Amino acid sequence: MESLYLAIPLASLMGAIIAGFFGGYIGRKGAHTATILGVGTSFVLALLALNHHVFNGAEAYNATVYTWMISEGMRFEVGFLIDNLTVMMMAVVTGVSLAVHVYTIGYMADDEHNWPNDSLAGTNSYQRFFSYISLFTFSMLMLVMSNNFLQLFFGWEAVGLVSYLLIGFWSVRPTAVYANMKAFLVNRVGDFGFILGIAAIVMYTGSLDYYEVFGKAGGLSSQTMSIFSGVEWNVISVICILLFIGAMGKSAQVPLHVWLPDSMEGPTPISALIHAATMVTAGIFMVSRMSPMFEYSDAALSFVMVTGAITAFTMGLIGVVQNDIKRVVAYSTLSQLGYMTVALGASAYSVAIFHLMTHAFFKALLFLAAGSVIIAMHHEQDMRKMGGLKKYLPITYWTSLVGSLALIGFPGTSGFFSKDSIIEVVHHSSLYGHELAYYAVLGGVFITAFYSFRMFFMVFHGQERMDQHTKEHLHETPWVVTGPLIALAIPSVIIGAMTVKTMVFGSYFGNSIFISESHNALAEFSHGFHGVWGFVEHGFKGPALYLAALGVISAWWMYIKQPGSADFFAKKFSWLHKLLENKYYIDDFNAWAFGGGSRGLGDRLWKVGDIAVIDGFFVNGSARVVGWFAGVARKVQTGLLYHYAFAMIIGVLALLTMFVIL
Amino acid sequence: MTFIDFNFYLFATLLIVAALGVITARNPVHSALWLVLSFFASSALWILLEAEFLAIALVLVYVGAVMVLFLFVVMMLDINVEQMRKGFVRYLPIGALVALVLAAQMIWIVGPVGPDVLGDESLQQSVRHAADYSNTKELGRILYTEYVLPFEIAAVILLVAIVAAIALTLRRRPATKYQTPANQVKVKRNDRLRIVKMDAEAKE
Amino acid sequence: MTLEALNYLTAWPEIFLLTMACIVLVVDVFISDDKRDFSYYLSQLALLGTFAMVMMVQVDGREVAFNNMFVQDALSVVLKSFILALSFAAFVYSRDYLKDRNIFKGEYYVLGLFAVLGMMLMVSANNLLMIYLGLELLSLCLYAMVAFNRDNGNASEAAMKYFVLGAIASGMLLYGMSILYGLSGSLFLSDITVAISQADDSRIGMVFALVFILVALAFKLGAVPFHMWVPDVYQGSPTAVTVFIGTAPKLAGFAMIMRLLVEAMGDLQADWQQMLIILSVLSMATGNIIAIAQTNIKRMLAYSTISHVGFILLGILAGSNEAYAAAMFYTISYAVMSLGAFGIIMLLARKGFEAEEIDDFKGLNQRSPWFAFLMLVLMLSMAGVPPTVGFWAKLAVLKMVVQMDMVWLALVAVFFSIIGVFYYLRIIKVMYFDEIADNQPLSCGRDMQITLSSNALLVLALGLYPAGLMSLCLSVFA
Repeated sequence: MESLYLAIPLASLMGAIIAGFFGGYIGRKGAHTATILGVGTSFVLALLALNHHVFNGAEAYNATVYTWMISEGMRFEVGFLIDNLTVMMMAVVTGVSLAVHVYTIGYMADDEHNWPNDSLAGTNSYQRFFSYISLFTFSMLMLVMSNNFLQLFFGWEAVGLVSYLLIGFWSVRPTAVYANMKAFLVNRVGDFGFILGIAAIVMYTGSLDYYEVFGKAGGLSSQTMSIFSGVEWNVISVICILLFIGAMGKSAQVPLHVWLPDSMEGPTPISALIHAATMVTAGIFMVSRMSPMFEYSDAALSFVMVTGAITAFTMGLIGVVQNDIKRVVAYSTLSQLGYMTVALGASAYSVAIFHLMTHAFFKALLFLAAGSVIIAMHHEQDMRKMGGLKKYLPITYWTSLVGSLALIGFPGTSGFFSKDSIIEVVHHSSLYGHELAYYAVLGGVFITAFYSFRMFFMVFHGQERMDQHTKEHLHETPWVVTGPLIALAIPSVIIGAMTVKTMVFGSYFGNSIFISESHNALAEFSHGFHGVWGFVEHGFKGPALYLAALGVISAWWMYIKQPGSADFFAKKFSWLHKLLENKYYIDDFNAWAFGGGSRGLGDRLWKVGDIAVIDGFFVNGSARVVGWFAGVARKVQTGLLYHYAFAMIIGVLALLTMFVIL
Repeated sequence: MTFIDFNFYLFATLLIVAALGVITARNPVHSALWLVLSFFASSALWILLEAEFLAIALVLVYVGAVMVLFLFVVMMLDINVEQMRKGFVRYLPIGALVALVLAAQMIWIVGPVGPDVLGDESLQQSVRHAADYSNTKELGRILYTEYVLPFEIAAVILLVAIVAAIALTLRRRPATKYQTPANQVKVKRNDRLRIVKMDAEAKE
Repeated sequence: MTLEALNYLTAWPEIFLLTMACIVLVVDVFISDDKRDFSYYLSQLALLGTFAMVMMVQVDGREVAFNNMFVQDALSVVLKSFILALSFAAFVYSRDYLKDRNIFKGEYYVLGLFAVLGMMLMVSANNLLMIYLGLELLSLCLYAMVAFNRDNGNASEAAMKYFVLGAIASGMLLYGMSILYGLSGSLFLSDITVAISQADDSRIGMVFALVFILVALAFKLGAVPFHMWVPDVYQGSPTAVTVFIGTAPKLAGFAMIMRLLVEAMGDLQADWQQMLIILSVLSMATGNIIAIAQTNIKRMLAYSTISHVGFILLGILAGSNEAYAAAMFYTISYAVMSLGAFGIIMLLARKGFEAEEIDDFKGLNQRSPWFAFLMLVLMLSMAGVPPTVGFWAKLAVLKMVVQMDMVWLALVAVFFSIIGVFYYLRIIKVMYFDEIADNQPLSCGRDMQITLSSNALLVLALGLYPAGLMSLCLSVFA
């Protein structure tokens, strides 16, 4: 199996290399054929691996493929850990990636219009785009397949890099460049915590290997470390919180979420692939993978849960006031990531991963549907200029409806199972902060339903607000766009019902996830589980479903029945509206405090530290001293033979005197 | 002091004096002759050590062949001794000082004054061989058995010395004039002779 | 005694090389000047054949031959294969250079082959006499090769200096060895080890011998204050010879240190460690500082060699098996880097032009971006900048020094190597930012292009994947 596992990431990498380095020679068709073949191979092989592990019940595979170096007993390796958790991630990543590859053919077909004439960056941009998304698939696979922290970090940074490249793909747009800078910088904050966490792991366990580290996690929970003198910290809590800070960056948790909405500057396929379905879930995956460590720290789990709850609620609220179709979906993603994080905090890793999977399908679907609308509207993203698109884009309409229903948790859809499970496990949790989390996720259900259907109604129903020219050209998008929509719509409906039993309540994850005895929220929740139908029935008894229904009805009332009422409420609660429109002023605060502050600091350091002290004293000063010394010293080399011989004799004499006589 | 001891000190002194003579003599020919004397003295020391083959080889090879060649070279080259000695006096004090200190240190270590490095018993161990003992035979035996590899390598070193000497000195001078008899024999009339028709008198 | 007892098959590669060298010598006499390439190909064939045989040697621990004179172990096999590979590349580089200067003669290759033989014998020596003979065989060949361009005054002067100083160093080595022989009663390294471990009164005599032997070793490697010959010889010799002197003999010198200091005189470690500290610090200081003032690139690289030798000594003085492995890693990677750097100098040289001045590298990027890049890699590696192999070499050595609780020494080493970065970066600056001074196109054979490119890329590859070479070095001392 080893060569098969190795082939999975390498097939994608090959596609990326071919499209990236030889894009100019092989042309557009060659590029997308090569990358789709590469990712397609990865997908098929990932399914084989899935079959091997899940259905044939193979043992977890953990082995080193290549040893990069060994330093003081610490091994730096490339290795794979393949178990049920990994194969599921692999299948989701390659599957969504394949759909996005196909979809991109349609979306990027007329990409040359996005570049100014004779722009160098615009040459072969189509091939470059394919190369990037294949490279992303490779990086993400390396991340999830890793069996050690070094490779995890490599994948972590590599997906960050590709995300940076893709957000700023249209590098001629200042907003895109601003957005990718922002994404990169905010992720640096998270990555800083992440690498500190890895450093702490290395410091206390002396290993990078998952299994070795996990084996020592229990011992670490009783150790303490003191970072500031006098204050003792529990080692495992420090490590887990640091690692989670990394996850907060990648998975966009408050307050490191600010980059994700801006990342919508990138092309829509990217928003679907990276910023909805896969990369942002890396943090969720990582925490689940590290469950043997997180389980030893109640403090870290509480921190995770509260962070997730805040994200889930507040970010959904912002989605209510957005008018850009992609931004609504983006805030919805933030809010859903918050849900997953809450589940992690409640020790229900399997539920989080389950939601991750269902969310990957319906969120990718919603993004691609939004993209489809955008294509049809000639790259218009403002919902206030849409409306009544139902009759023009029937396939997009129906698939969007499916996606939205899944998102709000309509009974029977995949989102219903995963979201209800989260709400239930939080309800059963007993960690510090679980009441807050419970009400936040419940409130979130209403908000989710509201903004989802607000968007749906504004786009597909009501008055046709677009201009005449656009209206004349409106028609359904080509099959490469609608095909993936349909392909994603099917699992959005059924995957939840199919898998909830094994993944959430069954033993699907086996040994790959560890839950300590004291965190029994999931176990308690499982007691109440009596089959899929029972679960649906149970859904009707809880408050979540009615909250969702209320949200849909409110949206219908405000945007279809009484179209003016939205403005009325906006005026009435103008302070709240303003607060939400400005995204709680977090961006402004960052720009003022961190942007301005660091610039001021940098300016001062540059003038005083760099120019005066370093350039003036150290660099030029030391260079002068060394230069002078060298000039003097070279005079010793006279070129005369007897001087040389004499120097040797003196050397002998000195050594003799020093070591023999004295 | 036995007779052997007496001889040792005699030839040892002679060796040191001769060696000093090599580096202090003003005339290079004299230097070379001092060197011959020092070879003789060390050869005598080897006789005392019962290494008669080496002693004879030293005289035959170094005195008989190498030094004679050396003398030829010295006499044929016109060496300006005075120029070579420039700075000798100037550097003499420091040089002599360093040499003295170095020699003193060596003597202190190896000699009888300082720490007992060699150990008394090792000095007593010198073995006297029987009268029919042949140093030549013994050397030959050991050279072709135990020391065959070093012996071969020494031969390679000599070969390299020859190659190096030839590579550095052999030169074909392009200006050298020489005749090739074969070509002379093969020569044809037409190669050498050209008949030009011309009028006896210049035309007006 | 029978032939079987000699076990001469163990030395098969050496016997083959010697035979081939003699064949080249004879064949070369009978071919005309325009067929001189034949000697070249024959010599390369000899190196390749020897390499193949060395590769085929099965080392189970340690095997001795020729009455214990000759030893074949992991150290000798690894070092020999690198010596052969480096010499092969040096021969490739030198061909065009020699042709352009009308000194493309068979003797260059014959002497080169004999020098390689000398190095291989040094590496495999198990007896003081063998070490000495191997060293003399190597040195004699090198003296002659330095003077090879005999019409060049500088070369003759360099050869003269090298020869006289080398003779003094050899004298010291012999003196030290004879004292060691006198005290231990044997020339075999293993007997000397035993004698030293049992010595108490005579220990000071052993240290006395050690000083003289160490001086000769320091001379061979070019450690301060026995380094004076290095700049003059590097600069004065034809670059084709400099590239040879500057690479493979360093490995032989390393082997000599291993055999003499570590194998034979391991019990005197406390003494030679202190001596090496002095030599190492002096070498790093002198080499790095004086290199800054140089305008001739060959001379600059000579001083850089001296500073690198300081680093190699650091690894040796740290005195654990891992530290020897680090020193070996350093020596091998240094030899590879220096091979490439001199190769680039020879690439720039052409008929009647030597490309020896740093100014000759001005604007190289505009003339040939590829070779400018290769030189950039080589210079960065010499400076010890990741991701090149030079970084790992320095790191490995420094780590060993720190493990020996000699942090101050590691700091000194880092300090001087930072100073050293200056002159390597100057080459890069000159290549990339200065106005082009010399517009002649670069020309060289395909063989040289390929060898040189792979040489420089090897530096990069080893920097990215140092584990292979490192584990090889570690396995030698395991």
